[in-house]
Amino acid sequence: MAGLELLSDQGYRLDGRKATELRKVQARMGVFAQADGSAYLEQGNTKALAVVYGPHEMRGSRSRTLHDRAVINCQYSMATFSTAERKRRPHGDRKSTEMSLHLKQTFEAAVMTQLYPRSQIDIYVKILQSDGGNYSVCVNAATLAVIDAGIPMRDYVCACTVGFVDETPLADLCYAEESGGVSSLALALLPRGGQIALLQMDARLHQDHLETLIEAAMTACKGVSKVLDQVVRQHLEEVSMLTGE
Amino acid sequence: MIKTERILHLKSCRGRKVRVVREHYLRERVPCYSGMCQAGCANDGKVLPGDLTHYVVPDVGVVVDYLEILEFREMQGIIFTQTACQAVQHSKGRRQSNRLRNLLKEPRHDCVLFANEFQQYSFCPREKGESQEKWQTRCVYSAAVWYYNHLAGMMDIVMITDDQEAVDQYSSLSSGVYVITVRDYLQNFWPDLQAAHELYASVSQVLQEKESEGKEGEYGEHLPPEVLEAGIKSGRYIQGTLNVSKHRAQTEAFVMMEGFSNKSSDIGCRVLVHGDKSRNRAVHGDVVVMELLPKSEWRGKVTALSEGQGAEKSGEDESKPLPTGRVVGILQRNWRDYVVTFPPREGPQSQSRNSQRILAVPWDYRIPKIRISTQQADALQDHRVVVRIDSWESSSLYPNGHSVRVLGRAGELETEVQTILIENSIHVPPFSDAQLREMPVNSPEKPWKVDPAQVAARRDLRESHLIFSIDPKGCEDVDDTLSVRSLAGGKTLELGVHIADVTHFVKEGSITDLEARTRATTYYLADRRYDMLPAVLSGDLCSLLGGVDRYAMSVMWELDAHTLAVNQVWYGRTIIRSSYQLHYELAQALLNGEQAEVPELARLGSERKDDRLAELTQALETLTHIARQLRAQRDQGGALELEGVEVRAQLDEEKNITALVPRQPLEVHETVAECMIYANHWVARKIQETFPHQALLRHHPPPRQEFFSQLLESARARGFTIDTITNKALANSLDRAVDPEDPLVNRLLRMMTTQAMSEALYFSTGSQSLDQFYHYGLALDRYTHFTSPIRRYADIVVHRLLTAAIAAEGEGAPGKGLASNKELEEMSRHINSKNRAAKRAQKLSTELFQCLFFKDRDPQTDLRCLADAVIYSIRDDGVLVFVSEYGVKGPVYLKNREGQVVTFGQDGSCEWQSGSVRRYPDHISTTSACNTSTFRLFNHITVRISVYSSHCHADRLNLEVISNKPYRSTEAQQPRSEGRCQLVQEVVRLAEEASQQAQEKAARGPKLSREERKFCQSKTPNLYSLLEEVRELALMDPEMIPQVCATEE
Repeated sequence: MAGLELLSDQGYRLDGRKATELRKVQARMGVFAQADGSAYLEQGNTKALAVVYGPHEMRGSRSRTLHDRAVINCQYSMATFSTAERKRRPHGDRKSTEMSLHLKQTFEAAVMTQLYPRSQIDIYVKILQSDGGNYSVCVNAATLAVIDAGIPMRDYVCACTVGFVDETPLADLCYAEESGGVSSLALALLPRGGQIALLQMDARLHQDHLETLIEAAMTACKGVSKVLDQVVRQHLEEVSMLTGE
Repeated sequence: MIKTERILHLKSCRGRKVRVVREHYLRERVPCYSGMCQAGCANDGKVLPGDLTHYVVPDVGVVVDYLEILEFREMQGIIFTQTACQAVQHSKGRRQSNRLRNLLKEPRHDCVLFANEFQQYSFCPREKGESQEKWQTRCVYSAAVWYYNHLAGMMDIVMITDDQEAVDQYSSLSSGVYVITVRDYLQNFWPDLQAAHELYASVSQVLQEKESEGKEGEYGEHLPPEVLEAGIKSGRYIQGTLNVSKHRAQTEAFVMMEGFSNKSSDIGCRVLVHGDKSRNRAVHGDVVVMELLPKSEWRGKVTALSEGQGAEKSGEDESKPLPTGRVVGILQRNWRDYVVTFPPREGPQSQSRNSQRILAVPWDYRIPKIRISTQQADALQDHRVVVRIDSWESSSLYPNGHSVRVLGRAGELETEVQTILIENSIHVPPFSDAQLREMPVNSPEKPWKVDPAQVAARRDLRESHLIFSIDPKGCEDVDDTLSVRSLAGGKTLELGVHIADVTHFVKEGSITDLEARTRATTYYLADRRYDMLPAVLSGDLCSLLGGVDRYAMSVMWELDAHTLAVNQVWYGRTIIRSSYQLHYELAQALLNGEQAEVPELARLGSERKDDRLAELTQALETLTHIARQLRAQRDQGGALELEGVEVRAQLDEEKNITALVPRQPLEVHETVAECMIYANHWVARKIQETFPHQALLRHHPPPRQEFFSQLLESARARGFTIDTITNKALANSLDRAVDPEDPLVNRLLRMMTTQAMSEALYFSTGSQSLDQFYHYGLALDRYTHFTSPIRRYADIVVHRLLTAAIAAEGEGAPGKGLASNKELEEMSRHINSKNRAAKRAQKLSTELFQCLFFKDRDPQTDLRCLADAVIYSIRDDGVLVFVSEYGVKGPVYLKNREGQVVTFGQDGSCEWQSGSVRRYPDHISTTSACNTSTFRLFNHITVRISVYSSHCHADRLNLEVISNKPYRSTEAQQPRSEGRCQLVQEVVRLAEEASQQAQEKAARGPKLSREERKFCQSKTPNLYSLLEEVRELALMDPEMIPQVCATEE
């Protein structure tokens, strides 16, 4: 009894997008001066803030030190005002822990950690407003923050969610679509090489459809990467104008 | 490709308590779907033609309330706005919005959907403090303005609304966009469309009534949907479909549960709903949510034939208590169009205070009376009218409705037939011009010829094969032909079944195809039929007539001449010329070696004639031989001989061969049927193997064992045991259960078995597991329908699948453009429901004619109204009997309303006296002061048949016991040998005479009579109709004995 019609007969989604269209992405880098890197990213109504500290020497328990590469430490949290009903616990709950773990895995695949042995990189992400696709927005914001911190990466890590409705993949789900019982898949991609950094899906989907879904997700990720690239270039221009003169 | 310079708008809409912010993306290019578009919109699919005088944009209120008017096919150029569609979705629910969606999809209706809220210039954000209605009207208006500008002012746009304020506010704002009310619009633009005006009047009256409705509650309020959903999940409430009892529509209804895992064993799959109050405004067919009552309030259902006379008695004749509940909410209304009869004014109508409100009585007993406000109440007296229910407020005792269409005076044949069609939701308008234009032409001036390109692409069997058809006499639509020949010096045989290639003429997605899909089958009524395909196809170009070239779809087997093992099967498109168009009797005569005149050979010389005749006879003999072998093979596999026997039984009655010996039909019937079954089976194998997930097959699930209980009991009364474990055991035990004295016993037992069978259904292979494919009756692992594409849509689908399968084989590429499993499943559900409707309509029309037959006869004097009847079931105060002569089943009361019982003297004459009735498992006896009479199962008695006329419902036959001796008058043999076939014919003749008289009086509109001429073809008793009548003949049918009889339903 899905009350909402997620994809109309004419091919429009609830918010007026077509199936393959992304939400509007806006981003800024270097929003905080005291952190090593920071970025703010909006994807539709989902807004996230990412901050990167490091690389610096290990803090806390030194036993976690790795001798050949850096340790990546991620923390994901949601602002208490980020959802329609006030959230009780901003971080540390089961969902946030899982999300932190996923972020960590993603960035371990993308950041060239072997350049910084025995050190640590901290990535903190906070969702300020949540409207679906939290994971992918976090990844995209964190990518910008890592770039802002000047930590070398193999490539941009771009993430996007894709849902499957009426035999059609829908790119970049918003909250209304996510909660409408769509089986959705989140994918983080290193677009240039086409390597998948993370693929996550916890819904039921027929095996036959998986390939088309991944295909659609990769296209969407490439779209995101173009936007991120533009943001980075624009930021560099601004910065170089400031420092150059 | 991703980023657009779209402006981001935020739209906040209030949910329950939370504030939700949603994005809203706008774009410049939204297709307008107009044929006049200058801007190059991407208009694919349905496009509004450019040659109209105006486009009409209905306001939200109009779409919500007056959608029925917009559904008229005459209304053209309608632009539905997205705003309106969403409003329908919100305020009217899924059913109504599906209706709107179907309307938009319907290619024959000129209307499109414009996504106005996603268009940059036509979107207007809701302002602070603006009411929802105002905002919606503004949106629709701005969409209308956008259209006007978009089409560069070349097309006038009319916005219709039912809000006078909107007219005042907007009408003078911009030129070219006119804002008027619905009434003005209809009067100015469609002055001739009388039906629309009437509909408008009746709908608007209902709306007015609704506003002035009082608030005092007759019924409890329904619970809100959230509570219901939570209740169902937690198991507190039960969800199910309401099924009102036909016989006690006032008080008894059952809810069939859906997906209710039977955790507590004391709740079966049915729950009783007793009385109006606990039914709480639910109508038959609605999906309801109900709450179980405490066990102390559970009740049983009534099993007596007639209603208990006093309330204090009701405790006695109730069976053991059933779970009882009350309805707390309705999830989904399943209202359809209902036929009602307006009562005469001096009738029981007491609501004369407001003369415009009429309580009309629906034709269907299960539907409550419907309150209708109309100004035509006087004109509509005693007329049957189609109505729709609008609402049922808790404050009103009856639902409110409005009239849609007048069918005619109650009791007239045409009205009654239309009533039957509408009550079964069968809609068969004459074929439209657009559709007929798609048809190829075949007239004497312009004869249709085969296309040389097609000849090259098809296998040509015209010269090489002797092809012939065997059908009932006078059959017009010949779908199947046969051929057989021996190959390789007699070592192998080649058997061919050639089916009319309908899909060559009916392209997928064409208007003809869509219409055929909607109809799904040809409807056979007792006196007429409504074809699925236009006559030029069904009676001519697709029909495999003798002596002309026709396209066909063939299946050819190469069989070993001795073992009949299949060496090779070939499927493909062919071109054939049928040499002989035989009928069953002629074929049988040829087989028997009797002298018979074959019309095709009449003009030949005697020598050549003998040669040809010998050739044909040889082919027929081979065919019979093959068919026998095939039959034997199926029998070994455990085939149930049920259907076959039933056909033969029915055949006897139709053809009057030997009504008392059901096992002697023409063998050639079986031969043809067997070949068709064989073809169907092999095609099913082929398409299922090629398309394992999307083939349309037909399965027949094994019957539930508990349905056999009546059969077992009845058989036991005669000392037979019936084994129902497998289909083979059942067939064997039925064969043994023969009473040498009375052949009817075996026939009745077989009918009861048929009644116990579950229904054979179409399904898509992707949605069932492999072991569900089994066809119980035919004992085949896979079966489909392939052989009658002219009158069944399922066969057309199968033909397309087979074509795709052949193509896939040739190219090795997977079939494309085929219906997916989901679509196929939906289609099979549609076809199944239409088939059910067709069967019901056929049955009702036969009953109608039975009643007409007896209506003109005086039961006291006319000997034909006396008949022999067999008792097949025992009830508390009467018995159910079967009258084989007329194929009538019904109740016979042994106790009348005054409490008197019937007893018999020595000579068999009967007497009504006060006394008592006692019921035993296999007999019932009546005791009065002087003597006692006993009625046993399968006893023959004599009944008198009369017609019980009912004003608002269908007439029905009334059976009355005359004597407890079998009926043996001197004339007994005479009506028997005529049977039902003649009965129908005679009534048809009478009806035709009556209708001619009526025409002379010009009492009937010209349109009706034209339709009559067009469709009033005599019914051909072909195999299909025979098979269909099997069910109709089945015993124990509760529909025959409405209101007075309880059944073990």
